[in-house]
Amino acid sequence: MKFTVAREAILKPLQLVAGVVERRHTLAILANVLIVVDDNQLSITGTDLEVEIVGKIPLEEGAVSGEVTVPAKKFLDICRALPDGAVINFSLDEQKVTVKSARSRFSLSTLPPSEFPSVEGGDNDLSFSCAQREIKRLIEKTSFAMAQQDVRYYLNGMLWEARNGELRVVATDGHRLAMCTRPINLELAENRQSILPRKGVIELSRLMEDSDELVEIVLGANHIRALTKSYLFTSKLVDGNFPDYQRVLPVGGDKEIIGDREVLRHAFTRTAILSNEKYRGVRIMVDENLLTIVANNPEQEEAEEKVEVEYDGEPLEVGFNVSYLMDVTSVIDTDKIKITLSDSNSSALIEQTGDSDSAYVVMPMRL
Amino acid sequence: MNRKIIHCDADCFFAAIEMRDDPSLRHLPMAVGGHSDRRGVISTCNYAAREYGVHSAMASAHALRLCPDLVIVPGNMDKYRDAAQVMRDIFHDYTDLVEPLSLDEAFLDVSACEQHHGSATLIAQEIRQRIFDSIQITVSAGVANCKFLAKIASDWRKPDGLFVVHPNEAAEFVKTLPVKKLNGVGKVTANKLHTLNIHTCGDILQWTLLELNQHFGSFGKRLYELARGIDTRPVKPNRIRKSLSVEHTYPNDLPNLLSCKNQLPDLLVELRRRVSKLDDKYRVSKAFVKVKFNDFSSTTLERVGTAARISDYQQMLEQALERSQLPVRLLGIGVRFFNIDADDAPTQLELFPNVPP
Repeated sequence: MKFTVAREAILKPLQLVAGVVERRHTLAILANVLIVVDDNQLSITGTDLEVEIVGKIPLEEGAVSGEVTVPAKKFLDICRALPDGAVINFSLDEQKVTVKSARSRFSLSTLPPSEFPSVEGGDNDLSFSCAQREIKRLIEKTSFAMAQQDVRYYLNGMLWEARNGELRVVATDGHRLAMCTRPINLELAENRQSILPRKGVIELSRLMEDSDELVEIVLGANHIRALTKSYLFTSKLVDGNFPDYQRVLPVGGDKEIIGDREVLRHAFTRTAILSNEKYRGVRIMVDENLLTIVANNPEQEEAEEKVEVEYDGEPLEVGFNVSYLMDVTSVIDTDKIKITLSDSNSSALIEQTGDSDSAYVVMPMRL
Repeated sequence: MNRKIIHCDADCFFAAIEMRDDPSLRHLPMAVGGHSDRRGVISTCNYAAREYGVHSAMASAHALRLCPDLVIVPGNMDKYRDAAQVMRDIFHDYTDLVEPLSLDEAFLDVSACEQHHGSATLIAQEIRQRIFDSIQITVSAGVANCKFLAKIASDWRKPDGLFVVHPNEAAEFVKTLPVKKLNGVGKVTANKLHTLNIHTCGDILQWTLLELNQHFGSFGKRLYELARGIDTRPVKPNRIRKSLSVEHTYPNDLPNLLSCKNQLPDLLVELRRRVSKLDDKYRVSKAFVKVKFNDFSSTTLERVGTAARISDYQQMLEQALERSQLPVRLLGIGVRFFNIDADDAPTQLELFPNVPP
């Protein structure tokens, strides 16, 4: 096999594909990427047995077909280190791969492509197309709330709920929850839930461009696939039951606070400095048109911030983990936010004002 | 931060005390326990008896079948308690962070200890020597940077041994450990691990956290960490301090208020040094002074809502000295702490309280 490709054409797909390759693994071949040339098209595949990404790059006429696997990180580092505008010649001779560019030459070890595992695609029960920016937005608005290495393994991922005419995603670590819903061309009699693993979610959002370019999503019983012009993404789904998120969306909170998002975000960031490093608790006190944030730590230090807000309800004091409030005020993109509270033991609902595709729920902290 | 944890464990404690008090028992297989004709059980036995397969919690009748010459002596709890108190007092000379596990066994966190330039190995050696000098029994000790390794280490050279797991050797040491050495791995878990072809901690390293979680539930995380030598459990002293004070008896009586006030800075420096070594969770609620006059009468005075500054102590001292015209032989100053209990810590409320983590 043999092909020639511009450094700029291969670098980005190679980076994205190499992103799924785990640094440490038990199977040697998982440190490699599979390189296939067929009909003047180059495909590069990386996998960790859970997530697989195939990047597709069109080649000039004259490429010689074939397939081989090479060490992902080394191949990426070589391409990255070559100068801008470099032209890369890749050829396989016996079991050695030679990468040449101008006066540079690299000889890379290989492993047989037949040993490279592929993630089975399986059945495709449900498929739909939408603009990539929709998927990107859904993930960016919610992924921060996914759990990490929680024993409730189904929380280490993101719920994708296909609904009639829309796609809803939900992430929660058991203390806070993020939800985003976007209109999608879908016709469904009843909702369908799948849980994407954390790593799959993160890799998928890297592939999605903030553009109108289409992506086709295929949801099977055990897998999800995403196809774009340049990539094929496959991930196993998490086998488990996501908790009933509808039940924890607060209803009937009567204490509505409207405030400037940036002002609140900065106030949270400053009070966080003197909150207890371990628990991160702050007290939020609301009174007529005034929201006060107070943090204390074991060193008896104290931070207090007063923020003008729109509020005309009863005075109320609630404790929160300030990191959760910082996360939400960072991810919302409108100037104003609305916080709805009911009492000091019930969750807070935080949304952007006006029409909102996202909602955030944060459980309080008993301080 | 690298912690320094010592685990001390007396060697066949009850039996050792009995052998100390009756050296004729020393070379016989012997045990402390109840008599077989009264359905007694063995509570501790010496090493000679262990060679016959006798062990604690075994029925005495069974033990006598294994070892017909076994001498069983009745226990004397008061004696053991006294010896344990001596051991505990020695532990407390090095640190406040002493977590007793039983009468004769304890964890010590000596990370902040200044003796022997902070060498936990030398401290452990000295503790063993001092216990032997004062109550003539041997203690085995293990030194490591976490509790579970310290406990395994104390067993490593038993009896009368000291074993140190250096932080940079910990990973290698753990790898070779059979899983049943791990705290929390009993018969059932060990069997389950064996069926998964996991025999040593090194074998656990091949498994991801999620896989372990799926097989062992919440214990999976603990296995994952222990196999990597990670054990962040703090040494929890079960005695909670209510106060801390320093005092000094002067070789020459202090004749007046001024001479008393002149002693305050030294006392305060020492008090602050000791308070600073306590856990962060201790918060000062009150300051107090104690004055003993040269007729041995004494008086104390407390003040609430203070930051325990020198001016607080000066004012309290003035008031205390108004109570007597006598010269002063002893001065003490101290602080009392808020009552701390675990319920004080903030708790994050759960979104799904019925789906436990």
